[in-house]
Amino acid sequence: MQRTERVRAYQAGDVLPVITKTLTQEKVNRYAKVSCDGNPLHTDPVFAATTHFGGTIAHGMLVLAYISELMTVAFGRPWSVSGHLKVRFRGAARPGDTVTASGRVLRIEDGTTSCEVECRNQNGEVLISGEASLRTQ
Amino acid sequence: MAVSLADLPKGHEFAETRFELTPEWVAQYRAAVEDASSDPSGAPPPLSLATLSMRALLEEAALPSGAIHVSQEISFSLGRQSSDFVVAKARVASRGERAGWVLMAIDLEVEDETGTPMMNGRATITFPAVAQGVR
Repeated sequence: MQRTERVRAYQAGDVLPVITKTLTQEKVNRYAKVSCDGNPLHTDPVFAATTHFGGTIAHGMLVLAYISELMTVAFGRPWSVSGHLKVRFRGAARPGDTVTASGRVLRIEDGTTSCEVECRNQNGEVLISGEASLRTQ
Repeated sequence: MAVSLADLPKGHEFAETRFELTPEWVAQYRAAVEDASSDPSGAPPPLSLATLSMRALLEEAALPSGAIHVSQEISFSLGRQSSDFVVAKARVASRGERAGWVLMAIDLEVEDETGTPMMNGRATITFPAVAQGVR
């Protein structure tokens, strides 16, 4: 079922809706197929075990999609029309991890709302952090 | 697939790739990322366009073994879609080497068939400078 929360006017300091997902190897494989990114670091446990990650990790763009979903839930159509996202991938998300995407409004200036956004795993480790902004007026 | 991203110099322009943004592909993307949000206009999830643009370059060049996505910048402007077809473009914007690792920035763009921008951004990836194998 699709969900869109009622889009509301946010103020600086407001917390955005939280998105939580649990990763599995099957989900990573599904993203590899749709994106045509079959990098063995994501899909081949034997190869991935030889890397410094010690096992497969999720595609950064898969985990980043959770932040984009959070922004769509929070702001609706303006996110698709005027969204800007700038992030760094700081840690690896692995099959079995529970990933939580969250955000907070930093400032609203000249019709642009800027938010800090991040994804963390179940241990509180930061996987992605950065800033998302969009035109809201 | 003939080349690895590791072989491409700064300035390399990937062949433009035309995709049909079918409801089936969008549904597959939504399922893959478990995106339960909806845009009332019916527009695809914005990040699906970034995924398509990455797919366009991966159809031309393989990621070197051990490649890691370091950072991503993306801007969306999904207005009313003129058709189901989109055109993805990509270009190696920079390439540097430090401490045995290559840092490569790739500019990405997606337009509709009329040339109206829908998404642009920059992906920065890193991989071992000695990476030879393309898997």
